[in-house]
Amino acid sequence: MTDVTLIVNGETKTASVPPETTLLKMLREDLNYTGSKLGCDVGDCGACTVLVDGLAVNACLMLAGQAEGKEILTIEGLSTLEKYHPIQKAFEDVAALQCGFCGPGMIMTTKALIDQDEDVTRQNIKDALSGNLCRCTGYTKIIEGVIDAYQEITGKKLPEIKPRAA
Amino acid sequence: MIRRGKGVGCMWYPIGFTVLANPSAATVKVNEDGTATLLTGTVETGQGSLTVLAQIAAEELGVSTDDIHVVSADTDTTPMDTGAIASRTTYVTGNAIKLAAANAKQILFEVAAPLLEVQPNQLEAVDRKIQVQYFPQRCLPIADVALQAQFVMGRPPIGSASYNPPTVGMDPETGQGKPFSTYVYATQCAEVEVDDETGEVDVIYMSAAHDCGTAINPMLVEGQIEGGISMGIGFALQEEMLFDDKGLQLNPNLTNYIMPTSLDMPEIDVDIVENFDPTGPFGAKGVGEPTAVPTAAAICNAIFDAVGVRITSLPATAEKVLRAIKEKNDNDQKILPAAE
Repeated sequence: MTDVTLIVNGETKTASVPPETTLLKMLREDLNYTGSKLGCDVGDCGACTVLVDGLAVNACLMLAGQAEGKEILTIEGLSTLEKYHPIQKAFEDVAALQCGFCGPGMIMTTKALIDQDEDVTRQNIKDALSGNLCRCTGYTKIIEGVIDAYQEITGKKLPEIKPRAA
Repeated sequence: MIRRGKGVGCMWYPIGFTVLANPSAATVKVNEDGTATLLTGTVETGQGSLTVLAQIAAEELGVSTDDIHVVSADTDTTPMDTGAIASRTTYVTGNAIKLAAANAKQILFEVAAPLLEVQPNQLEAVDRKIQVQYFPQRCLPIADVALQAQFVMGRPPIGSASYNPPTVGMDPETGQGKPFSTYVYATQCAEVEVDDETGEVDVIYMSAAHDCGTAINPMLVEGQIEGGISMGIGFALQEEMLFDDKGLQLNPNLTNYIMPTSLDMPEIDVDIVENFDPTGPFGAKGVGEPTAVPTAAAICNAIFDAVGVRITSLPATAEKVLRAIKEKNDNDQKILPAAE
């Protein structure tokens, strides 16, 4: 067993876990942050996405020990009891999620993209979300939600693109 | 060389099977604060059915959707439901809920009628009020009527109802009959780019025109259609379960069972073709499964338009398309008679 200390959503948390424990397993089972979902467990679906020092990471592919002392942001760290995070509000307003299983991962990926503080195009958004699978929505409304959240948070406008179709 | 093509796919799809019993039931209870509780056995899997069902109950009772508290999918408390299957929830369960809400409303009308000095059939429920038709100033808040019904008249305003699309047996000789209650129709158009050197197909645009009866919640209908198109694109180009000769699946994970990502999604235009089905709740039919039906046909027609080959087994992977293009090119080559 190894003692691992993480700073999860601003709070310091320690747990004693076997060395092969993934960050996702530690968050969900030892620390009870069950917002991040276990989908495929091999890094294909993105449902487990969390931010580690600001970078979007598949928590199922990272060992808990590798995250020692790092700052972890999970979906639980976004909203308060009073208020949704603007990304969550934007997703809700456009009905971006259906069954919602991909939602925590999609929203954390979006957070990482918007936090980069760079100008974003529609293609950047599609690229960023390509590691998060969704079976229900066809991604269309999720992309709309990301655009709305980006414009709301940064105050910037997405560049207009010429449609590829004739 | 990248070649472009356009294709069309059309479909009809049945809603509410009638060859077997297909019942749904619901209970609507109007509470003394003017809200209502709806018990339904149907399952919400993210398609938004509980929102739509609450909208149906709210419309019938003349209250806001926010006023409806939905209790669902718990066989301890709710009626059994045939299921969230066959694109039947809005149509069959919606009809049951509309009938149940109408029964509860009838009790409210009978209680309110003497207070408003009219007959029950002269009343209507609008804007959280029970009011006299054409005389909206003669009204009572629905909460007051529910309170009166419960505590003065001793008639709690509860309505229960079930709906089963009339079961019609098949003719045993011919197998013919009327297997479904109603039908929806749709057309989707695809625009694709096909690389004739690699066989790779890229869907760049889809437009989808769907008839779903009355769209009770157009935003959810759009979400269903966009989701269906993504499933259709996967069906057309990527997704295939592979089995070995012992029947074991060779690709039982998302690493090699390839489903569409955000990068595979084209620009989508959704067109909801509204009409009114008199047998559905407020004219609604359904939209779930039909959305994925015509997509693959439209894409394969677009591939034919682009490179002139018919792909007859799905998915139309790059390998299959390239092989078909090569065969076509070989056949197109004129065979010159050998020199003597």
